[in-house]
Amino acid sequence: MTHLANVVQWFANPAHWSGPDGIPQRLVEHVQISAESVAIGALIALPIGIALGHYGRFGNLAINISNVGRALPSFGLLVIAFQVFGLGNLPILVALVALAIPPMVTNSYVGLREVDPDVREAARGMGYRELTQLLRVELPLAVPLVMAGIRTSAVQVVATATLAALIAGGGFGRYVIDGFAQQDYTKLFAGAVLVAALAMATELSLSGVERLLVPRGIRLLQAPSAGRATTFKTA
Amino acid sequence: MNPRFVPGRFLAALAALVFVATACGSSGNGGPTSKGTLTVAGFNFPESSILAEIYGQALAHDGYTITYKLLLGTREVVAPALESGQIDLYPGYAATDLEFYNKGAGEANGDAAATTAKLNSHLQALGLTALTPSAAVDQNAFAVTTDTQKKYNLTKLSDLAPIGGQLTLGAGPECPTRPFCQPGLQKTYGINFKAFKPLDTDGPLTRAAFKNGSIDVGLVFSSDGDLNSLGLVVLQDDKHLENADNVVPILRQAAASTEVTTVLNAIDAKLTTADLVTLNSQVSGSQHMDPDAVAKAWLQQHNYSS
Repeated sequence: MTHLANVVQWFANPAHWSGPDGIPQRLVEHVQISAESVAIGALIALPIGIALGHYGRFGNLAINISNVGRALPSFGLLVIAFQVFGLGNLPILVALVALAIPPMVTNSYVGLREVDPDVREAARGMGYRELTQLLRVELPLAVPLVMAGIRTSAVQVVATATLAALIAGGGFGRYVIDGFAQQDYTKLFAGAVLVAALAMATELSLSGVERLLVPRGIRLLQAPSAGRATTFKTA
Repeated sequence: MNPRFVPGRFLAALAALVFVATACGSSGNGGPTSKGTLTVAGFNFPESSILAEIYGQALAHDGYTITYKLLLGTREVVAPALESGQIDLYPGYAATDLEFYNKGAGEANGDAAATTAKLNSHLQALGLTALTPSAAVDQNAFAVTTDTQKKYNLTKLSDLAPIGGQLTLGAGPECPTRPFCQPGLQKTYGINFKAFKPLDTDGPLTRAAFKNGSIDVGLVFSSDGDLNSLGLVVLQDDKHLENADNVVPILRQAAASTEVTTVLNAIDAKLTTADLVTLNSQVSGSQHMDPDAVAKAWLQQHNYSS
C-alpha cells in the first residue's frame, strides 16, 4: 500500500509537472511521435486496403503480407532502424509506422469487402460513377470497420512508443526506463500508469471520432455497433 | 562451494615456496633453471588476460615457470582460488577489489595509494597482498570528441566548470542520481551542464550521440580500446571524483618474494592508461590479436626481450 501512496505522492509533486522531464513535456513527445506514426501509417495503409477491398482483388496477398508485418517485433525493428539511421526520432518512427500499418490494411480491406453487393449494384443502377460510388456509398458503410482499424493501430502505437526511451527518445517511456535504471520504482510505476492511461484515452477519443463519422442511417440500422474484424488481436 | 583444505596441494605449495625462497637466495647466477612455478590468473574479460600475460611473461623473463589460468571467471571465482592457493596472482583493480574484500563497505576513494593501503589491510588476514598500484586505470571517465577538446582547449575535468552551461552530458539513465556521475561532477567540479541526455555507459547509444553531435561530454571507460578510433579523448579526473580502479597485482604473500615484487612493480611503474587503450584495441579491434602476442609486444617495447 505504501507503494501506491508513493505513486500518488509522485503525481502530486509539482516538480513532476514542469520542465523538460515533466509530465506535460513527456505527454507532448509521446503523443507527437504516436500521432505522426499513425498518420504516416494511415497514408500508406488506407489507400491500399480501400483499393483492394473495392476491387476485391489480391485481398489474400495483402492480408498475408500485413500479417507477416504484424509478426515483426517492434523492438527488433527499432534496434535495426537504430543501426541504420542512428540516434533520433527516425528509427522510432520506422518501427511504429510498421506496427501501425497491418491493422489498418486488413480492417479497411474487410470493411470495403463487406459492403452488401446489392447496395453496390443499386448505386451503379442509380448511375453513380465508380469514384462517387466508392466515396458516397461504400466508404460510409465501411467507416465502422476502417475506424476500428485506425483505433487498434493507434492504441498499439501509443503503448509501443514507450520503447522510444530505449534508444534515448522521449515520451512516457522515459519514466519507465529511467526509473528502472535509477531503481526509482515509484517513477517506473508512475510511467506505466501514464502509458496505460494514455492508451485508454486514445481508445476512448477515437471511439468518439468514430461515432461522429458513422452516417446516421447506419447508426440506426446497427444499433449495437459493429465489432472489429474478427481476424484481429485487439489491443 | 567453499574451497577445502587439500593437504596434497598445501604440501606442493609449501615445496614451491621453499623452492622460490632458495631460488631467491641464489639469484644472480643467471642459469636456465626455473626459479619456481607461479600460476597467474585473469578475469573473464580481455583486458585482464592482457595484464595477466604481461605479468606472467615478465616473470617468465626473470626465470620463473608460469602457468596461466586466463578467463578464469569473475572476482567471485578468482578471489577464492587465490585464497586457497590454486592460483598465485591475478591483476586486480584497487577500488573494485577493496570493495570486494570489504564486502562493499564503501571505503574506496579516488586516491590509488590510500585505496591500495586499505585493500592491503583486508588482504593481510587472508594471507594475500596487493603491490604498488600502477598509473594505468580502468574506471568510469568522461570523454569529449577531439573537436570539442580543441575548440575549448580541454585536458581535465576542471576545465569544464566555466563552460558546462554550453554543453550536454550523455550517460546511462542512472547518471543523474549517482554520486560518481552528474551529482559528483556538480559537487566536486562545479560543472552544471546545459542538459542531460539519458543513453548508456560507453555503449552504442553514447557512440551514436557523439557522432551526431547531440552530446558534448559522455561517460566512457578509461581503458576502452575503441576510444582512439572513435576520436574521443578522456578528460583527466584531476580532483579524483572516480574511485581509483588502478591496476594492481594481488598475490599470495607466500608468492610475494622480493624478486617477484620487484619484477611486478617494475611493470606497473611503466604501464599507463594509454597503453591499456592501445592494448585493448589490438585485442578487441579489427586486428583481433591474441592477448599473449599483445603482451609480448608491449614487453619488448619496454626492453624485456626474450
